[in-house]
Amino acid sequence: MQRPLAPAFCLFFIACCGFAARSQTRDFSPVPQDTVLLSKLCTNYQQHYKEELSQLPPTNKKDFQEIYGDRWKNIKEKFDKREIYTDADAQKYLDALAGEVIKANPGLAATPFHCYFSRSYIPNASYIGEGIILFNMGLFDRLANESEAAFILCHEISHYILHHQENSMNKYVTTINSEDVQSRLRKIKNSEYRKSEQLESLVKGLAFDSRRHSRDHEAQADSMAVVLMRPTRYDPAGALTTLALLDGVDKDGFDLEGDLQQIFNAKEYPFKKKWIKRDDGLLGGHARLKEEEMSDSLKTHPSCPLRIKLLTPMVKGRNAGGGVVDPAKFAALKERFRYEVIEYAYASDDYAESLFLSMELLQARPGDGYLVANIGRVMNGLYRAQKAHRLSKVVDMPSPGYPANYNSLLQFIQNLYLEDVASISYYFLGAYHPQLDRVTLFKAAYEESGRNLKEQ
Amino acid sequence: MRYSTKTGFSMLLAAVVSLSYQAVRAGDGKLSIDKVYAAYLRNSGSIIAKNQIKGYFFLYQSDKIDKHTNQYTLQILDENLNKVKDIKFEDTKKLSLLESSYNGNTISFLFKNEDNKTLDMKIYDFDGKLKYTYSREFDKKTDELMKEYETRHTDEGMNKNVFDLGDRGYVSVLPMRDGKQRTYEVDYYSSVTKSQWTYVPTDDEEKYAFAEYMGCTDSLIILQVEKRNHAMSGKSSSHIVGINFISKKKQFDVDYVNEDQILVPSSVVPLEGTNHLMVIGSYFDKGDNIDKDFSKGMAVYEITTTGKILTKSYNSWAGDFAKYLPTNRKGKIDDVGYLYIHKVIRTPDHKLFLVGEGYRRTANALGIATTVLLRSNAMGVTKIMVTDMVIMQFDEKYKVCYAQIYDKNDNTATWSNVSDYNSQHLLATYLKMTGAFDYEFTTGDEDNSNFSVCYSDWVRSSDYKGQTFNTIHYNGKKFTTDKIELKSKASTMRVFPAKSGNVMILEYFKKDKRLDFRLEKLG
Repeated sequence: MQRPLAPAFCLFFIACCGFAARSQTRDFSPVPQDTVLLSKLCTNYQQHYKEELSQLPPTNKKDFQEIYGDRWKNIKEKFDKREIYTDADAQKYLDALAGEVIKANPGLAATPFHCYFSRSYIPNASYIGEGIILFNMGLFDRLANESEAAFILCHEISHYILHHQENSMNKYVTTINSEDVQSRLRKIKNSEYRKSEQLESLVKGLAFDSRRHSRDHEAQADSMAVVLMRPTRYDPAGALTTLALLDGVDKDGFDLEGDLQQIFNAKEYPFKKKWIKRDDGLLGGHARLKEEEMSDSLKTHPSCPLRIKLLTPMVKGRNAGGGVVDPAKFAALKERFRYEVIEYAYASDDYAESLFLSMELLQARPGDGYLVANIGRVMNGLYRAQKAHRLSKVVDMPSPGYPANYNSLLQFIQNLYLEDVASISYYFLGAYHPQLDRVTLFKAAYEESGRNLKEQ
Repeated sequence: MRYSTKTGFSMLLAAVVSLSYQAVRAGDGKLSIDKVYAAYLRNSGSIIAKNQIKGYFFLYQSDKIDKHTNQYTLQILDENLNKVKDIKFEDTKKLSLLESSYNGNTISFLFKNEDNKTLDMKIYDFDGKLKYTYSREFDKKTDELMKEYETRHTDEGMNKNVFDLGDRGYVSVLPMRDGKQRTYEVDYYSSVTKSQWTYVPTDDEEKYAFAEYMGCTDSLIILQVEKRNHAMSGKSSSHIVGINFISKKKQFDVDYVNEDQILVPSSVVPLEGTNHLMVIGSYFDKGDNIDKDFSKGMAVYEITTTGKILTKSYNSWAGDFAKYLPTNRKGKIDDVGYLYIHKVIRTPDHKLFLVGEGYRRTANALGIATTVLLRSNAMGVTKIMVTDMVIMQFDEKYKVCYAQIYDKNDNTATWSNVSDYNSQHLLATYLKMTGAFDYEFTTGDEDNSNFSVCYSDWVRSSDYKGQTFNTIHYNGKKFTTDKIELKSKASTMRVFPAKSGNVMILEYFKKDKRLDFRLEKLG
């Protein structure tokens, strides 16, 4: 049922409009990362990890150490690659969002955890170990209100307090070292023929078991999240709208090829159809491969409609409103994060993603200084990389596994020769010169594109 | 990198690889999957269509079924190194995969089955379903000749025997030996219906014939055939042979010896939008011995699909080429030597480019000393150097109108006594057969509107000392050059041909026992 427009939502709407109006005159500039803080945090968590290692069970200790070591490696990478967002203002807000949950659930105080924003564009959140919950900007900027954000936090907190990850690791190590699996492996080793067939059967059984647990964990985390939300001021119905959002999160309503033809069609260097030419055959990178039917028993997550169905009775009758902590800040951060993910994609050498996200947002905000400048900056980066024979380090190759629009962008990049990249960048930026010269990033990109063109 | 709906495939070309199973860890003394199972890579190679790399195949032995039979997994990767198909099948344990070709609708694989002594052509559709299998017998002598035949090209990574004929099917050109007779056979394999036939040359003069596939039209398979009257005969003749794969008959066989000149074809290019073919090669005066005498220049003939000559254009070394290159009447260019033509490229705007590489004979100081002091001529008193790259352009009347020398280091190609006794023509053939030229391959758009000529070099400068991979790139208007230095943090770095306009860079890191492949666009 459609909810009436609450006063809080109106405020939020006004705040959004206000920001949009301001963005015409104030161009985005990324928040500088606090490297000292990142290093300090990483050192603290490393200490925690070392203490954890000393408490691992003595049986199969080496395997436990290895699997916990892998988990730590992943955590450390988040700090080393500056994925953790260090902006104090955003952190304060996230702490307040989580604080509301802790305040209403005093039992949580006994198991301290820390939430951070991740600068990743991927619409996801995760508990990564050592009491760290990451909330990706790419998910936050798609949410409608604070209750939805709270559900995401509560879901990850549930994974943490229910020790889902640790239980899975424990189960994995114990199973592999069990007498049953070991005797089956011994039998396979001693077989001369049809080893592969026997292994396939063993692996399928293990995967079935592990994924069933994974699905159980997700359902448990959903239920526990609603339980944690109930005593708070957040609306537990946010769980249902969030899951509905996640169900369609991979879809984009963006005509990328049309957009490419429009924005890179300069009078001096008109768009060439061959830039978007692709081979749809099996070997061209755009094949439509027949998905091997994954039975429900082999999926790691239950489907979103099923999760909604399971949660609906738990949230029935509650309608507390979406905004609790600071709806204006929520809206402002959402706005900021749409740009921060673009900046981080570029900073982490993911040029194709940075270009994709910039083009997508530029469609809605034509002439935006940062977006225009970033498109030029990425094209210049592609020029440098291609010249140094390192293009594959900053862009993916087209693959049947990618969404169609992103794959079209990758093909476009593959189809360009060096002189095309230089010319496209120069004439694209030239259309905004001198209007955008006030934007430092734009000025630098425009000058670099001019130098690149001269080289050709 | 964007999150994918599938797990990305990382290509590890290792002798032992895990195919389908994650390596499961287990404690000391305990078993893990990687300790009980391994798949072995038997063969790998490129999948070719219209002379371009479209993908890659890897044939793994994935299991043993019984004493005589293995299970194989044929893994197909697309041009961007994404895994797109796994085909599992059982076959004899004495199986190897020779070559693969692609025609947009199907993929063909030529297997050698040593158990049955057959060459098996298997044609699969995109779902990995086997459409047709064609078998033909081979014997030991054929096998030996096939190995010899494989060394006759320098375009690394490209097919030697199997080629696509558009959406109709495939052709293989196999060298044959029957007693003292050395000849060839052409096998046609349909991908549309179950149909196969073999063309066997029957002419007397084809007792000593070596055929090379040049290309196809919508009905013709075009071969360049070098024939000798006798196995040890010093005189040979070069022919263009057209075999009609619709009528299953030889349509023409011409040797282009006229009143004044002899044309020795080295390339045939079908002319888009017409039924004509362009034949390019060296020409000699009538009566010359093409194995011993110097060529007079380069000739371009336009012919019909029945072999009839429509136009002839001659470019002499002494006259036409001398306007653009410092050439003498024997075709020798100052500081470059003689030219070997590696590639003929025709662009959509009808420009014709020839890619040549210089070679010359020089005194071999060490060989002279050895000959004098030890009375042994095993090293030869001369040696052959491969010199600069040369790009030549011809106008619409096939007259040379531009030539440019691209300097590279003079690299020693051979210093055995082969260099002392052989003619320029035979030396060039020998250098090509042994892969001694620095030219690697040409890559670019299918219509040649952009192309890059690739060659290796060895640089000794104050900034860099080592091997380099070089390209001369044509963008439809002008030529530019690009260079990759092959000395990096990796223990070994090599460059292979890849999809159009790209190269595959292989880096081996000895310390980490890691092999990285990546595709890179040429600048």
